[in-house]
Amino acid sequence: MAFTMRAVKVPPNSASLEEARHRVFDFFKQACRSIPTVMEIYNLDDVVTPSQLRSTIAKEIRKNQNVTNPKVIDMLLFKGTEELNNIVEHAKQRHHVIGQYVIGQEGLVHELGSKDQGSSDFLKKFYTSNYF
Amino acid sequence: MAAAALRPAILRRIRLSPSPSLPFAASAAAASHPHALVRWLARPMSSHDAHLTREEVVDRVLDVLKSHPKVDPSKVTPEAHFEKDLGLDSLDTVEVVMAIEEEFKLEIPDKEADKIDSLPLAIEYVANHPMAG
Repeated sequence: MAFTMRAVKVPPNSASLEEARHRVFDFFKQACRSIPTVMEIYNLDDVVTPSQLRSTIAKEIRKNQNVTNPKVIDMLLFKGTEELNNIVEHAKQRHHVIGQYVIGQEGLVHELGSKDQGSSDFLKKFYTSNYF
Repeated sequence: MAAAALRPAILRRIRLSPSPSLPFAASAAAASHPHALVRWLARPMSSHDAHLTREEVVDRVLDVLKSHPKVDPSKVTPEAHFEKDLGLDSLDTVEVVMAIEEEFKLEIPDKEADKIDSLPLAIEYVANHPMAG
């Protein structure tokens, strides 16, 4: 914990929405620039490309695009920065990164081919919602 | 003790060139041939021998844009504007600029990156950048 607190500096609050918006772009750039390091640390070359990871980061940011309160944006940015630092400092393991950012929301079951036709809706939902 | 053991291990991996480095060779040659010195002084000062041609820059920037998941490849032209013509939003624009950075192994400073909002500007920036590779 102390490790994280040292790594994450808390900037002063954003004065306006425009400033918060700008910080989001700065954070996005910072995250994009650390993609090569992350790919190397977690050995991701054979499962994902840098551009896919970039799109995933953009998607995570876009989840909160309706937030207009600068304080909330600052808080989300803090959480994002913390997560990024954890990833870059190798505080996670390979399957964490793959599970959250490579496989992501699609869950474990990818192809819904003929073999899945018989399984119940419950089971399908279970598979797609219980992977972290 | 450890250093003594390390030394041969390192030396085995490093190959030192027995010939003297280029400036010495050139100045030695210049003593006998004055033209060699002129040629040496006129050499390109950059460590890259070949800069990117403009066509290559245009092709690669267009490829980057076409591979973006939200962009319709048929709409990508060298004159397109990211937001007006390609339908990208501000976050997509940053994403595209980061993709261009990665493609050409650049780091575009924030002030410059904020200005890049269309293909002509992106192509112009990369083509004029001395380190684009």
